[in-house]
Amino acid sequence: MRLRTDDDIYRARLVYLGPPGYTLPVHLPYAQYGLFMLLVPLYMFIHWLFTLNVELFPAWEIALAIVTTSFIFRHVDPDRPARVVIRTALTDWRRTREPAIEQRDPRLVGSRIRIREELA
Amino acid sequence: MSRSSTPGSPAGHPAGPAGHRAQSFDYTDTEDEVALDPALVTSPGHGAVGVFQAPRPVPRRTPPAEPTAVSAGENADIDSPFLDLFGASRPGGARAVTAGPATREQPAIPQQPPAAQPTRRVPDPEPSWTADQSTDVGRPIEPRRAAGGPAVESRVPHQAGDRLPMLRPPHEPDPTAGGASPSSANGPATLPANSAPSARAAEPASAVPADRPALERAPRRGAPGRPTAVGAEQTGREVATPRQRPAARPDKPTRVRAPKIKFGDRDPSVELAITEIAGHLTFTPNTVTAWYWLPEVRWAFRPDAEREALLSAISEQYAGLAGFRLHLRRTTRPFPADEWARTIDAHTPAPLPDVPGTAGWADHLVAAQRHLMAVNHAEGQTYLGVTFARRSLGDSLTERLLRTFGRGTAEGERRKLGRTVEQFDEVLGAFGMRGRRVTAQELEWLLYRSVALCMAPPGRLSPVTDGRWERGDLLAMTEQVERYRTPYGSTVKLVNRMTGEERHVAVLAVGRMEPLEIPERHEPWLHFHERLPWPMEISTRVDILGSGDSFRNLEHRLRMIRSQQLDYAEHGIDAPPELERLAKRALVIGDEMTTGLPVDSARAHGWHRIAVGGRTREECLERARRLIQLYSRELRISLQHPKNQDWLAREFIPGEPIANTGYVRRMPVPLLAAALPQAASNVGDRRGDLIGRTAGTCRRPVFLDLHFPMEVRERSGLAVFVAEPGGGKSTLLGALGYLAARRGVQVTLLDPSGPLARLCAMPELRPYSRVLNLTGSEHGTLAPYSLIPTPLRSEFGAGAAGDREFEIAVSNARAERRMLVQDICMMLVPPQVAREASTATLFRHAVRQVPAEETSTLDDVVSCLGRLDDDAGKELANLLLDTAEMPLAMLFFGRPPEGLLGADAALTVITMAGLRLPDLKIEREYWSAEEALALPMLHTAHRLAVRRCYGGSMSSRKLVGLDEAHFMEGWRSGRSFLVRLARDSRKWNLAALVASQNPRDILGLDVQNLVSTVFVGRIAEDAEIASEALRLLRVPVNDGYEATLASLSAADTSSAARLGFREFVMRDVDGRVQKVRVDVSYVEGLLDHLDTTPAAIAAAAGVLPSIPLPDLEA
Repeated sequence: MRLRTDDDIYRARLVYLGPPGYTLPVHLPYAQYGLFMLLVPLYMFIHWLFTLNVELFPAWEIALAIVTTSFIFRHVDPDRPARVVIRTALTDWRRTREPAIEQRDPRLVGSRIRIREELA
Repeated sequence: MSRSSTPGSPAGHPAGPAGHRAQSFDYTDTEDEVALDPALVTSPGHGAVGVFQAPRPVPRRTPPAEPTAVSAGENADIDSPFLDLFGASRPGGARAVTAGPATREQPAIPQQPPAAQPTRRVPDPEPSWTADQSTDVGRPIEPRRAAGGPAVESRVPHQAGDRLPMLRPPHEPDPTAGGASPSSANGPATLPANSAPSARAAEPASAVPADRPALERAPRRGAPGRPTAVGAEQTGREVATPRQRPAARPDKPTRVRAPKIKFGDRDPSVELAITEIAGHLTFTPNTVTAWYWLPEVRWAFRPDAEREALLSAISEQYAGLAGFRLHLRRTTRPFPADEWARTIDAHTPAPLPDVPGTAGWADHLVAAQRHLMAVNHAEGQTYLGVTFARRSLGDSLTERLLRTFGRGTAEGERRKLGRTVEQFDEVLGAFGMRGRRVTAQELEWLLYRSVALCMAPPGRLSPVTDGRWERGDLLAMTEQVERYRTPYGSTVKLVNRMTGEERHVAVLAVGRMEPLEIPERHEPWLHFHERLPWPMEISTRVDILGSGDSFRNLEHRLRMIRSQQLDYAEHGIDAPPELERLAKRALVIGDEMTTGLPVDSARAHGWHRIAVGGRTREECLERARRLIQLYSRELRISLQHPKNQDWLAREFIPGEPIANTGYVRRMPVPLLAAALPQAASNVGDRRGDLIGRTAGTCRRPVFLDLHFPMEVRERSGLAVFVAEPGGGKSTLLGALGYLAARRGVQVTLLDPSGPLARLCAMPELRPYSRVLNLTGSEHGTLAPYSLIPTPLRSEFGAGAAGDREFEIAVSNARAERRMLVQDICMMLVPPQVAREASTATLFRHAVRQVPAEETSTLDDVVSCLGRLDDDAGKELANLLLDTAEMPLAMLFFGRPPEGLLGADAALTVITMAGLRLPDLKIEREYWSAEEALALPMLHTAHRLAVRRCYGGSMSSRKLVGLDEAHFMEGWRSGRSFLVRLARDSRKWNLAALVASQNPRDILGLDVQNLVSTVFVGRIAEDAEIASEALRLLRVPVNDGYEATLASLSAADTSSAARLGFREFVMRDVDGRVQKVRVDVSYVEGLLDHLDTTPAAIAAAAGVLPSIPLPDLEA
């Protein structure tokens, strides 16, 4: 029995070519644009926290968002969507080298669980 | 040597070197100290299978020269409760006391619990919490200290005894402290009083040699560089300060008494998502999961059609669960070696009495257990959880409310669930998975194994088999497991605070998969990891999508692809060709979904993870690397090693959320079914001797009790061994004979070529064995009439029916005797004469004249022939008389000597050393006279070997091993012999092992359906023989399994060494077939004695009962 996954269908690379009539010089996945558009307001908000004014053309923010997006998408592949990469980066953070003292995670404790022999 | 010195080391003393330490030292110095508290660490490794050392070469420790070290080493080695079953009779001490072999005086055995009261279990099942370590002499203490370097030494000792070695040197000459009881930790306070400095000065350092090892170790640990030899200034100093020491002593224990217990309730802890376990249901706040136990299924050596039927049945079951989320978990259980040992011991009422100076029965079992532990066989356990109900808000609130009163889920909800669950029982219980509901205890076990991922299971070596765990124990134990991670680390570190065990776990996710051809070419893809010799854990979370969902999902994807294609067209750019290909594939799949059966349309979208554990991070990563390599090479599955390991590890726990959405695999349900993590390859019974392990995709120990078919399954005891020369038949035969003899079975081995005779030279068997060399025997030994016993009336039931049976049996015996005598006569005359029709007639006539009783002889037949008034008859008589002149043929004539084969010897080996066996492919005319004589000799020798078994009682266990049985083929009496053997085997409790080079002999004799156990060794030369061997195994022919037979025991061409193992395909009495690697290396010296290579034979030549070769390896 020859068995195969359906994964390749989901592996198709869907890119944004540009608005109708104009083809962008670089073709990037839709998700990348989406992430970029989320990041720009985020950086603007951070900027606003510091300076308390909003610039008309957020040049720095756009530049930072582009860098961040490309950095994140360097780790993205069909098996690792951007959501996973960001989440991993946010939850697994801190230094990448091993520290002298290890971080202890909370223990998982099952002392509260109630046990019955039978359902009814 | 007195016994008092043997049992174990004193409490605070380090036990001998602990081979593989299960702990490291780096974290604990800064973290809480309690993980190291010796009072909590019960045993080295605490149940970790890996801590056991391989069987060591010299268990033949003659009176231990260094009692403390040796016994401590033993204790450190094996931690089986079964050791305690033998009480204080540890190998060294036991042997020292054993008086005589004949009286069966071994102290080991009488101390065993009789079979009637198997519940007596000496070892405390939960010794972990005994604080008084000092009294527990049998248990080694604190292995880490033993092997510890200065890092450990610098730490504050936690036990009174811990300081002892340091303080011992001053008391070296003290006879009471040295000789009397090293085990009793008298407490340091009492010791100084005894140590009179003057006595110490007077006595030389070497006065107490028995205590030396401990003492020699002591100064090294305590004060480096201080020699034990009594240096003048040192002695002086020691002598000068005796008053100070009693003063200094007491405050050391005070330092000891205050270990800093820092951890407490402030420690971070997170409750598991599970809130309640009810029977086989687990509740989380939002979901309910029903858990099922999937029994192991046989995979190897089954016809492909059967496998496909299995897979399609399973995939139908999965498809029937559409709409639910499944959690498939596979965990392992270390093989309960002690349980096996207890079983075999219970089934061995009278093992062979021990011979002083050799390994006794107890040692034999201990060695086998050690071997089992060293090889690390883990048994799989597969659980399937079906998450089936979103609970309503009301349910959750009710539960929360009731929980405060300690009642849990509301009655009404549970009743409602009970009805829902029944339909899962129906779906999963059918052919395919055959799942059954798990018990609450199994769930707890799973929960513990998941929290303590890849760690040693509780309960030391053998976890719950008898349901000893109290309810809720395991859950409380989850609390002890601490988890550490490093940022973006590749492993999670788990530490068991109770035992100090440390594990590093790497979780791998199943990445890209190439197409697999599961029954035909590839192994099931989640069973495949068992090829590697360490246990792993599997967690698979899948959503089963029904046809509607999966089609919608696919259609959406197809639209996206199409729109992308459209985009390319609009922009006037060439679309990548893959888009078109993928769109076509999506169309095909969509077509399958809409028109096919539910099985075709159902999809499993999910995450598959494998957890690999190791004692150190390096070991863990190395194992992960090997696993990744194996999967990518053999299955073309790329296993990924993602970050966020601690979340991934948490995913293994039932009820916990999914770590992340990466590496989702979308597959048709048949592919998920083909993962088959519950596949297994068991063979053999679980009550016999350890003969090796399975060598297929997974490693399981193989036990074989050759009397199991008769005593339990009520089948015949005929076992057949088929292999090419050099395939290991004789060695296996000899090994089985040895093991059976150890268990007190009366063993008779017929080995025409003779190497098995060296078994009788093994020291533990020598007093109970004898060799019968037929070539040098008196005449009449093989007299054919007496080889077939007359049945006794007592063997049959009372009454008229019994009488009738008895009469039939007696006349059958007579007919068989006539047949045998005719065949022997035909073999003795030249083939040209035998071929004439008149010869057969004359023989038949003569044999008819002679009464077919045991007392008749061949001479009667000759004289009967001579009396015939027929020239041909006289000629035949003369021909027979001619043969009778040859020395070997003398065996056939005359009466057998009395007491030829006494029933007393436990092991009898019948050989025909020096006999030249003819090549059966050559015509009989061309055989030399000697070769021609070999044929009747073999025939009768087989009979002789079996004849011995009819001597004793019917129910006592007997074993006959017949090598070179292919000479029986082609003769009427040969077939009747095997048929009779197979038939009588049940009645007489007789295990008959028949070895042959060609399966056709057995198939040709048509006794195939009487055969219960089959071993087929390497058959590479002849494809026809191979397919016949497969027929004997009842494995489908022409399915590619012939190649398996050819690849058995394949030698590595690049190495010059001999092949250290032999492989067989074994079929057991229950019809399970599996590749088996025979390994009896745990019996010391056995392989040396079974070595049949020319060099080894030359070494032992002449000195048949030779002094055993020193065991150089193993």
